[in-house]
Amino acid sequence: MTNLIAEAPFKDNPAAPAYGTGERADRLKATRHGGKLVNDYWADLFAAKQEGRKVVWYNGTHIPPFFQAHGLAWVHGEAWSAYLAAKHGEAPAQKAGEARGYDRELCSYARTHLGQAILSIKAAQEGVAGGADDARSLTMAKLPMPDMIVNAYPYCSSGQQWDDMVYRMFGKKIPIFNVSVPLLWGGRKDAGYLSGSEWEERSDYVSKQLRALAAFLEENTGRKFDWDRLSEAMSYIKRAAELRLECFDLCEARPAPATFFDWIASIAHLNFMPGTQAIVDYFQMLRDEIAGRVARGEGAVKNEKYRLFFDGMMNWNRVGWLADKFASVGASVVAGRYTHMAFWQEPGLIDVNDPVRGMAQNYLICPNNHGAPIMIEQINRLCDKFAVDGLVMHVSRPCRGMTNQQFLIADAAKRRGRQSLFFEGDVADDSFYKDELLNTRLEAMIESMDAQRRAA
Amino acid sequence: MRQALQRFEAVCDAPLAYARALKAESGRRIIGVLPMQFPLELAHAAGALPVILQEDREPITVGQSQVFTFYCGYNRSLTDQLMRGEFDCLDAVLFGDHCVQLLATADVIRAHLPNTPILFNQLISSLAAPWAMEETRNTFRQLWSELEELIGRPIAAADAARSIRLYNRDRQLMRAAFDLRREGRLNLTGRQMQLIVKSGMIMDVEAHIALLEEIVGAAAPTPAPETGVRVYLSGHYCQAPKPEILDVIEECGGHIVDDDLYHGFRFISTDMDETLEPVEALARWYLERNLRAPCATLSDERADWDDFLLDAVGKARAQGLIILQVKYCEPHMYYYPEIKEAFDQRAIPHLLIETEHEQMPLEALKTRVETFLEIARRRAA
Repeated sequence: MTNLIAEAPFKDNPAAPAYGTGERADRLKATRHGGKLVNDYWADLFAAKQEGRKVVWYNGTHIPPFFQAHGLAWVHGEAWSAYLAAKHGEAPAQKAGEARGYDRELCSYARTHLGQAILSIKAAQEGVAGGADDARSLTMAKLPMPDMIVNAYPYCSSGQQWDDMVYRMFGKKIPIFNVSVPLLWGGRKDAGYLSGSEWEERSDYVSKQLRALAAFLEENTGRKFDWDRLSEAMSYIKRAAELRLECFDLCEARPAPATFFDWIASIAHLNFMPGTQAIVDYFQMLRDEIAGRVARGEGAVKNEKYRLFFDGMMNWNRVGWLADKFASVGASVVAGRYTHMAFWQEPGLIDVNDPVRGMAQNYLICPNNHGAPIMIEQINRLCDKFAVDGLVMHVSRPCRGMTNQQFLIADAAKRRGRQSLFFEGDVADDSFYKDELLNTRLEAMIESMDAQRRAA
Repeated sequence: MRQALQRFEAVCDAPLAYARALKAESGRRIIGVLPMQFPLELAHAAGALPVILQEDREPITVGQSQVFTFYCGYNRSLTDQLMRGEFDCLDAVLFGDHCVQLLATADVIRAHLPNTPILFNQLISSLAAPWAMEETRNTFRQLWSELEELIGRPIAAADAARSIRLYNRDRQLMRAAFDLRREGRLNLTGRQMQLIVKSGMIMDVEAHIALLEEIVGAAAPTPAPETGVRVYLSGHYCQAPKPEILDVIEECGGHIVDDDLYHGFRFISTDMDETLEPVEALARWYLERNLRAPCATLSDERADWDDFLLDAVGKARAQGLIILQVKYCEPHMYYYPEIKEAFDQRAIPHLLIETEHEQMPLEALKTRVETFLEIARRRAA
């Protein structure tokens, strides 16, 4: 059998294309600690039922502070699918989904999560672990079944339909609560980023629903909602989010001390992990390590020549692979829509003494919930801030939510003299990714950027 | 009847040519409306011609620069029409459906027609929420004020009430045509039924009513003898199924007796309450129509599409169900497994046909439909 890795042009970096230096990315050391925190979170979740905690399955934006305040355990469907994909353990769930008839063109997060539900229900009915014939199912068998379902999906209609299917799959017997997070279309004359009548009305609307969510949790547990605990959780989250922004600011340095892929590895901590001192400490560690790199002039990419912006969802099957690929050609991916325009990116909106409205507002500004003009304005702002040369558009195939405006984004980038490339992949279905297509397009983009510099 | 159908066909073949001609003749604004839940009544009350934008038959060429190939044919076709300049005649676009692909298309329209107002007022898609009614009222109030701003004058409640009455009358006549066809008293093909509904999405409502009255008036007093396998058609959101598909079903021996297609019963299922104040009538209409024809784009604990279909197929005495699913239509793809299981459990024959804007090999389809109808015929025997 041919050993493709042994024959790769850069044996230490199989992700590297045939050109470039073959250097690997120098990931932040603190992300290893971050990985341990994530594993601790999942271990805690797996024990929830034995400890008498009720479990919420939810999808969409980062609403877990409500669950945390109420002493619940929670499963973010997308995060669970990403977790399986990152461990290359998504196939049994996707096979179960496909066997029921879910089309491959549906969101692969959803297909994985629905497949998980199918196998979990089967396991409960038959008393055996779902997909027990496949060793990759061992992790899946640990996921606790839901006692409640909550959906809070900005922008993507598919998100609500997916949870609706989970609800129906469990025979409509598990209570469900939908938080509608409407699009900020930005069509009114006074529309702006975080301003205008639409912004104020939508902030009120989502706030009202979040208060109703607390009542739903009370109703389904028989316990009073603890608003002080919500404030406490949000105080940690706000501080962690502020530290993350400080980290981002430090990455304006040349060479950039950390990349998009480090921030991808740090999404979970603000997206779905509990608001505690642990996440504050984690982002403080990141900040300290980054500050040290800046002081020493160290970059996350050796001999940084190009600075790129990553648009689109992450390909969770390929986090390290893509980090190494870009590093191998001297390209530092310094920012991204999914990382820098999401996950409490406006902590200043949160009043920890009365956090609901600020939470609603952060939910409203998820990375795709703006109409294109304001979204593109924000992307341009980030590209200017980080002195970006070009944009990498990850076309996550069955994710219309994050591919929707990509042609408009690329058009806007071109008008500002920035190159862009498109490559197809997916969040949790590796079959959509074609490595050599990215290699070729990346090489072409680099040549274009070099030509642009020569002509300048 | 034949002349009325010919007129409908001409309108359906070139919807925007019809709209442009009417604009030139009457000076009325043309307001493009995106499917599937947004009412036409308020735009009509504003003195405009509301036109639900349709997929056209042109291959997608220049549109490819602004839409990915894995979007549904409807969205790709709209983008292509936009890039070909077909929408230059529009004075505004209205929409409110929560479909992630439509949101993309609307943004592309906004980018390429910067001087055309796009009035987006998102309708709540979680219909059983306690605040659904109030939110829906607010949505229509906002639309009302935005339309007033567009036309530069107030819209009188009496004008809105008149528009509601007209569209109710139009829906009632279309439902009458459905009923008469089901009874065998009106000999209409699937293609002709589609023309009736599709033209209702495009034409001036009063002109449509006048032609429909001719058609309904042509019903025979007694049913014609039944021939063929009775078939119920389901699905096909947003865009009309290609008439050739309906032809194939009928040529193979199928007798289409009923449907829940958007270009069919779904569009005409529900009237507005004329006794209510217009905003209240619009809001109730939106929230109630999902109970008459459940839609997978909406989350609604009160409604089950699979149960609805089992019931509808039974009432229509259909011998089989043909599901027409637009490729890449996410809500339909989510719901299809439930429908399949429900019909499997009751041993009712069903066939899934995935449709595309291009690439519909009709000969291959014919073989599948013939086989399906043979199964349905034998099972019913």
